[in-house]
Amino acid sequence: MDAAIDYQAFRAEIRDFALAHCPPDIRAVVASYRKLSRKVWYPWQRILFEHGWGAPSWPKEFGGTGWDPRQRVIFDEVMAECDCPPQYHHGLRHLGPVIIEFGTPEQQKRFLPGILNGEDWWCQGYSEPGAGSDLASLRTTARREDDHYMVDGQKTWTSHAHESDWMYTLVRTSKEPKKQQGISLLLIPLNLPGITIRPIRTIDGWHHVNEVFLDGVRVPAANRIGEEGQGWTYGKFLLERERLGGANIAPHRKALERVRELVATELAGEGRRAERELLQHRLLLAESELLAASELGRESVEAVMQGNALGMLPSVIKLGTSVTMQTISQIALDAVGERLAPRFRRVDGAGPNAEEPGIEWVQNYMYARVRTIYGGSSEVQKNVIAKQLFGI
Amino acid sequence: MTFATTLIVSGETFEMAYRFGQVAERELAGIADAAGQAACIERLWNGIGELGWMGTAIPEEAGGAGGDLADLAAIASGAGRAGLALPVASSCGVVPALLAGNPVLPDVATGAARVAVILPGAAQDEDTGGLRIRLLNDGLTLDGVVVGVETPPNPTHALVAAEGAEPMLLLIPASSPGVQTELYQRIDGRLAADWHFSLVTVDSGWIVARGPEVPERTAAARDLGALLTCIECVSAMGALIEQTIQYLLNREQFGAPLATYQALRHRVADMYVEYENLRGITARALRAAQSGEPSWQAIAFAKLRLGEAGRAVAESAIQCHGGMGMTEELPAIRLCKRLMMAEFEFGNRVFQAARLLAADGRTSTAAAD
Ligand SMILES: Cc1cc2nc3c(=O)[nH]c(=O)nc-3n(C[C@H](O)[C@H](O)[C@H](O)COP(=O)(O)OP(=O)(O)OC[C@H]3O[C@@H](n4cnc5c(N)ncnc54)[C@H](O)[C@@H]3O)c2cc1C
Repeated sequence: MDAAIDYQAFRAEIRDFALAHCPPDIRAVVASYRKLSRKVWYPWQRILFEHGWGAPSWPKEFGGTGWDPRQRVIFDEVMAECDCPPQYHHGLRHLGPVIIEFGTPEQQKRFLPGILNGEDWWCQGYSEPGAGSDLASLRTTARREDDHYMVDGQKTWTSHAHESDWMYTLVRTSKEPKKQQGISLLLIPLNLPGITIRPIRTIDGWHHVNEVFLDGVRVPAANRIGEEGQGWTYGKFLLERERLGGANIAPHRKALERVRELVATELAGEGRRAERELLQHRLLLAESELLAASELGRESVEAVMQGNALGMLPSVIKLGTSVTMQTISQIALDAVGERLAPRFRRVDGAGPNAEEPGIEWVQNYMYARVRTIYGGSSEVQKNVIAKQLFGI
Repeated sequence: MTFATTLIVSGETFEMAYRFGQVAERELAGIADAAGQAACIERLWNGIGELGWMGTAIPEEAGGAGGDLADLAAIASGAGRAGLALPVASSCGVVPALLAGNPVLPDVATGAARVAVILPGAAQDEDTGGLRIRLLNDGLTLDGVVVGVETPPNPTHALVAAEGAEPMLLLIPASSPGVQTELYQRIDGRLAADWHFSLVTVDSGWIVARGPEVPERTAAARDLGALLTCIECVSAMGALIEQTIQYLLNREQFGAPLATYQALRHRVADMYVEYENLRGITARALRAAQSGEPSWQAIAFAKLRLGEAGRAVAESAIQCHGGMGMTEELPAIRLCKRLMMAEFEFGNRVFQAARLLAADGRTSTAAAD
């Protein structure tokens, strides 16, 4: 940690760069709250990489920036404020740190550069039809055969599998009495024979999740990260690394401001005054929640900077902000609903399901439902918090 | 034993409508492409035409069955429980009511006349104060664009409550010069359309009613639509709760059925309380509407409640289903989408709240039973 860091200047530097170099068409996509795809993420990752900012959270020797936690959060905040694609790719945020910590030097050399420059795109193959909240009950098996694993099973909800090159996958390599044991972390190229990827149609109308069927897929044993049977530990390590992720409230504030503008323009005029004021009141309540959350976020960053434990803060922030984001999306829906909800329709095939300006507010309302489901559902988060509160 | 919610309306007509709705729902859900779905909705429309649904409340001498509100409620309840993707409240209730005595009524009864209703306050992309009638070169013209209007397949007419010096209720053939429609399918499977009227010359034969009776009749028709929508949604919500219970009983995580986790049990208990309350307030509105003294306030309260409860229950059901709640796969989630859309039909929460606030003596009426 360098006490001499001028965080204000740092923020300004990031901001200037973002505004000068993030292509307007990409920022327009982000600003319209559409679900992002590789097509939008990649070019920006490439630009950041060439500037030396490809991996804000990685150590310098692996091509990272070596920034401290506060700088990393500032970077994320500025990205959101400037409508740059958030750097939440699975490879960069999730897998990279695991490979850095537990991978062999060969694996680091092989996988990290592609993640850093954005040439390789990764997805996360954890969940299965029978293993959601209870991830440890996963059943996809990997049987060792010489220097390969034979992988059989099914993953589901795999975000972006259809546009990914690789899937980092939790598989069962042995049956142990405790189900958290016997799980390994395998890196599977998605072009191998025996892999079928099928889209899942979601209520938001975007295509982002998939089923991934693995049917006798031969994966080199060299693609296993760390020890056989220790996959659960790596998975948890990965989650720990992510605990500061919630400290960045900038995207939420941005969403709030946009909806406030929407309410003002959509419900302009005396005739709609009652509606407008009602929604404005609800927005204020949402804003107060976000103000609280950003203070907690600041505290989290301080705690990490001081090397202190975060305790329940990340769970508290996630639980609160996921609901606030849902509230904001409800307010937007109420503002445009009569006009636009009927027109939220799916156009078959790929592509956006409607071109109607403003339709993304409806779409986002539907999408926002997932915020209390994925990344540890609200019920699971509450179980975690309650366990701490009661000690039992 | 599996749990069954108390129905708001039961009986033979309800059963018949429910059975039709269930088959229809399954058929529609099995079709992936838009063209196939459109063809399916067309078949379903013809199906309910043959069953006489649109003629339910049309007098026998006009080709209908001469039924009453109880019959309409039974159809709405049956269709609602299955989430039927047809404009039941509008086509069986609102349209026949507005066209009472009109020569087109026999065609409405068979389903040959497919009428979309455009009530005052219909949504507009650019607020021009609704569809307006103006005097132009000695003739009356209608101008304006409204969007998101629920419609039968291939609408033959728009039934328009037009604003102007003298309000008019007009039955406008969709093929008239200057009339354009753009049809699409909503997320609850129903069809809606944008209607463009570009300086349409009003034919005197289109006039169904004019003058001060128009706002009265359209307000009553909107209330009928809102009431039938509430009945439909009570049924949809009951089915949704039953299906959510089944899902939680069947899915295991952490070695036990989800139904054993108290957080989810309480959530479903909350959904059930919402359901019972919505059923109660809707039954009350229905009873009032069937009495000699119909009460728009009773309907406004029911629809207000539906806005809150419908969204809350739909969101809870999605949450209980986890990732499956985000997919289009389960009938339960299709019912959620139906509940979500109902908020935007026949006056949303703000509309209902505003008129309740504006009315004198609303509290005494609300309390009276
Ligand atoms: C859009 C989307 C994207 C996703 N992306 C990915 C991805 O890229 N990779 C990946 O691996 N996974 C991904 N997931 C999966 C996600 O992590 C799971 O959906 C999540 O873990 C919940 O599991 P489930 O869907 O099986 O629900 P379930 O576990 O079946 O949960 C159903 C309901 O039961 C509740 N519940 C479960 N256990 C308890 C309990 N003990 N007490 C009280 N309530 C409980 C849950 O909170 C939920 O409300 C994604 C999911 C979605 C919807």
